Amino acid sequence: MHVWCQKVENGKELAEYCIEKGCDLGASYVEARFEDSVSRGFVYRNGAPVSAGTQPESGIGVRMLVNGNMGFATFDRLDKEVAKQALSEAFKMAKNANRKDPIDFGEPISNKVEWEIDAKQPIEDIDTETIMTTAEEMNAAMSDLPQFTLMLSPAYSDKYIVTSEGTRITSRVSHIFSFALLTAKGEKGSEQKFLDMTQAGGWERIKEGNVMENLREEVELLQNAANEATAVKELLDGPIDMIVGPEVAGIIAHENVGHPSEGDRIKGREGAQAGESFWRDLELGKSRVGSDAVNVSEDPTIPNTGGFYLYDDEGVKARKRELIKEGIINEPLLNREFGQKFGKESNGAARSSKYNREPIIRMANTYFEPGDHSFDELVEDVKLGVYLKTFAEWNIDDRRYQSKYKGSVAYVIRDGEVTDEMVSRPVLETTSVGLLSAIDAVSKNLRFDFPGTCGKSDPMQGVPVYAGGGELRLREIRLGGVG
Amino acid sequence: MTSFEDLQTFVDFAVDYAEDKTEGIVVHGIESSRSQIRFSQSAIDINKRWRELKLEIFLILKGAQIGSIEQSVSNKDEVRDAINTTLEFTKILPESQFFAGIEESVREYAPVRRVFDEKIDEFTVQAPEIVNSAIDAAVTKGAKRVAGALRFGRKQEYFRSSYGPEGTFKSTSFDLNVRAFQDELDYSGQGLHCGTMPTKDEERMVEAGAQAGRLSKEAIGAEQGEPGKYDLILSPTVAADIIAGVPGSANPFLILIGLSPLGDRMGEEIAPDFMTVTDHPHIAGALGSHRFDFEGTPTREVRIVENGILKSLVHNTTTAMMYETKSTGSSALQSISEGSKMLLPGNSNIVFEAGDHSFEELIDGNKPTIYVTCNWYTRFQNYQTGEFSTIPRDAMFLVKNGKMTPIKNLRISDNLMRMFANIEALGKDLKQILWWEVPTPTFVPYVRVSDCTMTAATQ
Repeated sequence: MHVWCQKVENGKELAEYCIEKGCDLGASYVEARFEDSVSRGFVYRNGAPVSAGTQPESGIGVRMLVNGNMGFATFDRLDKEVAKQALSEAFKMAKNANRKDPIDFGEPISNKVEWEIDAKQPIEDIDTETIMTTAEEMNAAMSDLPQFTLMLSPAYSDKYIVTSEGTRITSRVSHIFSFALLTAKGEKGSEQKFLDMTQAGGWERIKEGNVMENLREEVELLQNAANEATAVKELLDGPIDMIVGPEVAGIIAHENVGHPSEGDRIKGREGAQAGESFWRDLELGKSRVGSDAVNVSEDPTIPNTGGFYLYDDEGVKARKRELIKEGIINEPLLNREFGQKFGKESNGAARSSKYNREPIIRMANTYFEPGDHSFDELVEDVKLGVYLKTFAEWNIDDRRYQSKYKGSVAYVIRDGEVTDEMVSRPVLETTSVGLLSAIDAVSKNLRFDFPGTCGKSDPMQGVPVYAGGGELRLREIRLGGVG
Repeated sequence: MTSFEDLQTFVDFAVDYAEDKTEGIVVHGIESSRSQIRFSQSAIDINKRWRELKLEIFLILKGAQIGSIEQSVSNKDEVRDAINTTLEFTKILPESQFFAGIEESVREYAPVRRVFDEKIDEFTVQAPEIVNSAIDAAVTKGAKRVAGALRFGRKQEYFRSSYGPEGTFKSTSFDLNVRAFQDELDYSGQGLHCGTMPTKDEERMVEAGAQAGRLSKEAIGAEQGEPGKYDLILSPTVAADIIAGVPGSANPFLILIGLSPLGDRMGEEIAPDFMTVTDHPHIAGALGSHRFDFEGTPTREVRIVENGILKSLVHNTTTAMMYETKSTGSSALQSISEGSKMLLPGNSNIVFEAGDHSFEELIDGNKPTIYVTCNWYTRFQNYQTGEFSTIPRDAMFLVKNGKMTPIKNLRISDNLMRMFANIEALGKDLKQILWWEVPTPTFVPYVRVSDCTMTAATQ
């Protein structure tokens, strides 16, 4: 048997042993997740190689419910003695936790499936020279900039989830993680952009995802902003209309809608880290947070997206979730524990970033559902406004209520037309409700222009996600950032 | 527990196996066990336990043709596989433009005090009780709900370089973050405590809970703050995130890739003359203290900012050669993208020289002033020019005539270099900070900064 196959078989066998051992210790539920991944990373500065490497990684993470308390044991060596020791320690700690309100996972789930991401040219079949040739092409696309750094990392990961309830799931995902730090310098100063170009699937995604074309366009636009963008005072004089591109729509869907919809935040479990949620004080199906035009969904099952999966890390079948319907909050993201706390079922939102992290509630692909306008129709009756195509600096408070998006590439809209006049760093600084209520139309051009790594939990877990939408039109917005 | 001898066996085997296949190799073996207890709504949510044994390997195949790998191992065959995989991969790579050599001499390493708690295993048993005491302390001081995380663990390390250096190090660590809430989402407070000797610091962990509870109560009734210019009093937690970002950027790699505002500022006055900040790897009880760097160069204090002047960057052998200076013993094998690691300079502990002001003296003044106790989500528009914003969270107060009134919903939207230059005064007590937003251990006092821009939502 091939060494790699042997390792996977050993990992699966040890995961099964962990179930047996956890049950023997007295746990009422045991779940073991074996993961085996390989990434190859290539880093260049101004086109010159900085470093490259190959990084195999494997290990097992085990969750156990002990008298309603949760224990998590994880280890990196596929060794029975190490497993036994880690499980015993985690079991003992969990037993001493003495929760008054026991954790409940609800009805048993027993799914037996195999699934994998669609990959015509599997990542493991791509030789190093091919990857370096692509990197050279990407470096060439950035070569007009005074400073640029490229990080290109194709990776794949195999996973085996087994539970004491009978779940047995084997899966494979692959990504081409790809980031560029761009610095443009021009007559108006310098502009920076951290560009995420991550694709999901096989190597064919470089072409199918238009990676080169998009990179060239981003470089040109950033250079234009450094050369041309200026402050336009009249935009600050009063409320204006704003149209945001799919990248900005994506970050809004992710930050102002996706995060506050996470069930663990709503119930306070992320209180000390990523925070709570303003949804806590709202009523599902009744509370309005945006205009009728706002429909935001979450869907892990969209092929070749950063957040793609068919079964989550608790073995629950993935499905689309409608977070906001016509401006009303509709459905939170839930795992098994928080499904019970909400009196519902899990909707398949449990993800972990790797074997040594617990699965928690995460987004996958979050987006504004497309409307029925063309881009031109959105623009045609705007007298004075801003087209915020892309953003750079952003943040949002930990209840997910006060957000800020600072423009990177933006244009003045006058008399129904997007002009060539570039605006320097316009600021959209609003509350979530203020922002979502200002949206009066969404274009039909659904694009996932915001690939990202979503951070949450402690220790930090970064997971790949996509976000997007059509263009959004916001009415009567006052630009912010003024103190 | 894996014995130190096992670790030594794997590292020695790796170096011996690769020595005649490479120009040089450095291998660090690290064995660790760590735990974390997470809690929310005043109850423990999960107890986690990690066990790891990894080799970190950096090899020079020929010239600047370099490779690296981090691999978990449990026997010599796996060590051999890790070396072979790296050699195979490295032989087709071009030379790195960011490698010019590593430490080649054998030197003594100074001891570092108070970095290992012999009673760490006892602490593992006591930890849930301490968490519950911290929760109780927060509730006693007025909290309605308490969340947080206590992480602790130990690690042992052995390294050997084919150029001769070798060394050992063992350490323990802990960090506790307590966040207390009222029933409302808006009124909260934070308490932090971290260090290396958990069994000697149990009282201060409970006090962190009490501080979180106290602040959450003081935040009750917080009203919308007014955007505008203010002097800010930054708690050590906030100063460690924002202000320490300047000495944290005194790094050649960050400068060269455009992530530092210090590129052309060497020798310039960037802060008032009472400001001195060092990278100090020999502080007793500090989480970033260490005897040697990854290459085997002895660690040493680096005076980054001295009397307000930018004096030095942190260096490893390569960047020191690029800048025609000497390594500061700051080399670390850092992950710079998924799958790729590189020898780069990094910080140990960032240490501010304390000032001479009491907290009462710092808040005393006639100008509009805001006291910020905690912040998160710091993001930059441009790292080279320093424009950024960050969000105060937990208790925040408008200070007027020595009286503090709780306020909320403001954002610091300013320029890092401007704020560093506008520091008006420093508190006299340093606190070690390490938490979610601050990954580098930082010793910093309360800081007063003049004329900062605070913004708020327009709708």
